[in-house]
Amino acid sequence: MPTLIRWTGQRGEPMEDPFTAVADEDFIPRGDVIISLQRFHNEGQRLLAEGRKVGVRIEANEQVEDIAADLPNIAVVALAFPKFLQGQPYSSARILRERYRYQGEIRAVGDVLREQAGFMIRCGFDVFAPADGASPAEWTHVAHRFRHVYQRAEDGREPAFEERKAERVS
Amino acid sequence: MYRYDAIDKEMLADRVAEFREQCARRLAGELTEDQFKRIRLMNGLYLQLHAYMLRIAIPYGALTSKQLRKLGYIAKTYDKGYGHFTTRTNIQMHWIKLKDAPDILDHLAEVGMHAIQTSGNDIRNITADPHAGANAEEADDPRVWAEVVRQWSTFHPEFSFLPRKFKIAVTGSPQDRAATKVYDIGLRIHRNEGGELGFEVMVGGGLGRKPYLGPTIREHLPARSLLSYLQAILRVYNRYGRRDDIWKARIKMLVASLGAEGFAREVEAEWEATDQAKVDLPDEELARIRAAFAPRDFQSLPATSASFEAAKKADPAFARFCRNNVKPHKIPGYAIVDVSLKKPGETPGDCQHWQMDIVADIGERYSMDEIRVSYEQNLILPHVKLDDLHAVWKALAAGELATPNRGLVTDIIACPGLDYCALANARAIPIAQQIALKFTDPAKAELIGELGVKISGCINACGHHHVGTIGILGVDKKGEEFYQVTLGGSPEANATLGQVLGPALPAAKVADAVEHMVDVYLRERRDGERFLDTFRRTGVAPFKEAVYADAH
Amino acid sequence: MKALTGNRLGDGEAVFLGRAGDWVPRFADAELFEDEAAALAAEAHAKSQITVVVDPYLIDVIPSDDAWAPLSFRERVRALGPTNKPEHGKKTEGGEAIEALLHAHGAARSKGRVELIRRK
Repeated sequence: MPTLIRWTGQRGEPMEDPFTAVADEDFIPRGDVIISLQRFHNEGQRLLAEGRKVGVRIEANEQVEDIAADLPNIAVVALAFPKFLQGQPYSSARILRERYRYQGEIRAVGDVLREQAGFMIRCGFDVFAPADGASPAEWTHVAHRFRHVYQRAEDGREPAFEERKAERVS
Repeated sequence: MYRYDAIDKEMLADRVAEFREQCARRLAGELTEDQFKRIRLMNGLYLQLHAYMLRIAIPYGALTSKQLRKLGYIAKTYDKGYGHFTTRTNIQMHWIKLKDAPDILDHLAEVGMHAIQTSGNDIRNITADPHAGANAEEADDPRVWAEVVRQWSTFHPEFSFLPRKFKIAVTGSPQDRAATKVYDIGLRIHRNEGGELGFEVMVGGGLGRKPYLGPTIREHLPARSLLSYLQAILRVYNRYGRRDDIWKARIKMLVASLGAEGFAREVEAEWEATDQAKVDLPDEELARIRAAFAPRDFQSLPATSASFEAAKKADPAFARFCRNNVKPHKIPGYAIVDVSLKKPGETPGDCQHWQMDIVADIGERYSMDEIRVSYEQNLILPHVKLDDLHAVWKALAAGELATPNRGLVTDIIACPGLDYCALANARAIPIAQQIALKFTDPAKAELIGELGVKISGCINACGHHHVGTIGILGVDKKGEEFYQVTLGGSPEANATLGQVLGPALPAAKVADAVEHMVDVYLRERRDGERFLDTFRRTGVAPFKEAVYADAH
Repeated sequence: MKALTGNRLGDGEAVFLGRAGDWVPRFADAELFEDEAAALAAEAHAKSQITVVVDPYLIDVIPSDDAWAPLSFRERVRALGPTNKPEHGKKTEGGEAIEALLHAHGAARSKGRVELIRRK
């Protein structure tokens, strides 16, 4: 099983992948699987009824709104970066967390590079399949590069203007 | 002026440390050029024809003397002794080494400056009216909002990998000195009938291969909702903007394809679904930023200055400077001074390090330590006392910075072009030099009056040729430099895009063509008409005839 | 006839593949390829040198004076330096090799540049 990185909120830790990613044309093996949006529409209910954990892979040009109703039953949403510079998954992650209050795993797959770790974590990703061989320690290092943030996002970090307010009060 | 507090400074320090690490990884081969290029661009570092180019941010075009001196120091220490001010009110250094970039950024951070997001597919420098805080007509100081948006957009985790670059401009005044109609987002601050402060929001303006004037998608957005509304716009763009074709990737294409109303509906729906309180700034933070731009402690002076009037009478050259390069200030006894970086024959927008020091000294002593950069590639001293104007002029003249040509035919906007830029098809600077040298007589230039010549070396339009009274676009015709001329563009409130004059001209004929067109204007003009007005009345015919008669 | 060019990673200088397989700043020292296969092989190898040179590519060259020059104006600007500043860039070296570049096809433009530049 390929090793993933799981973000605990403080650091990255190695994580074995309990899911099998299944391509559209392949036979679905036993156990927990991640399938495409289209396949989930066709077979998702059946797979869930079998008692498996099911994850959905959303491509960069697909909309998370399409699985909104099913989110309580989806264990993992894998958002795919076809190239690291395609930024749609950042919006998808934020919409999942903020609008739909999705509590499950949001996994970054595809062209996932450590230099973007900070952005991904802030947008609500919590599991990563690095394409550049980055280790959990390297991931942790990048994620902690900035002592402050200017905006609220999905990581719960206090933005600069809240820090300033706290300073004035103290 | 907004002074960076401890948090802002740590932001810069952390960014430099990050970039230093990333540079080391690249130099060691741990990052490919593809992976590093994005990072490099997000730190303002381009690779051009001769060297790396560093584009340093000048947020909303505002500088202190200390900052301007630091730019001079960097030019002298790490570059060839000069910098180039751009049409986005940033400054470019054209001869930078990658190895030096982290150290340069450290130096900049010392004075609260940086090169954050001056390139890349992210939210770029927010530009604003260079007369902010000095003009009487503004509903509010646009720098307040430019700083608000600067902080919000910096290292924005959701919007750092957009389909394309994203540029925002803000004006507080009905007279639009920020060209807001040709930006991805243009914001015009105003008060509605109820006296409430708000923004007219225009989206989808832009120059480039397909120029657009941005339609208004919202007439009045309450000011305090700015950030949540911007988030909605950016999110719609990030999700649905085209990424398959670089020429169709700007937001103007998305707005055009959905239609202004369709696009507005998407934005409003996204905005409605947003937890706005999570995004918009609390009142205390708005007040804190606003306080940084509080009205300066101007002196109580009479509206006229006897010494100023006497100096003008005594010195016609000074009088000419005042007629062209001095604008009224909202406070009696003060004026706004244009510092021209367009001496005929020089490279438009270039400034030597020693000139930066001169302007810094003058700014510190005579302009309440404020210097501005305009998108016309000139500098501005926003708060000069009339009593001090003569001394300021003499000091500028000593630095070859007193060319009295603001807005005139020799106040040419030109991109760096094929002399520097990897994207260019043709050179822009020599064309600018040739044209300017035909009008070195300041009396002649003044006689001609307001005429915006704008030159771009390629279709990316960094020289803003689409909104030039005379626009000039370099094209590559069978390996030779040719130039497409347009007439009648204007970046003002009633903005227009230029109309093509005729077939492209070879390089050697362009300056002559401009001269012919000026002659036509002088012949045809009626009382008080500017070149633009005469063109709007006569149309292109008389100009075309004059230019192409010569070409046969 | 072709040459191979790129920008040096560390300082961004426009460089050319030299006759010794190194990367040189002077066009006059560039290796010239008559054989297309050899040129493409050199380009492929250069692309693997990611810590040395950025985005290497082949350019066409033509005879000029007793030497060679890039065919395209853009490449001559890279080999000479910006035309608006006589004191900046590779052209300041002067000499026959630079003259050959200045005289290359499109000499009319080069003459135009010389007329335009005003020395301080």
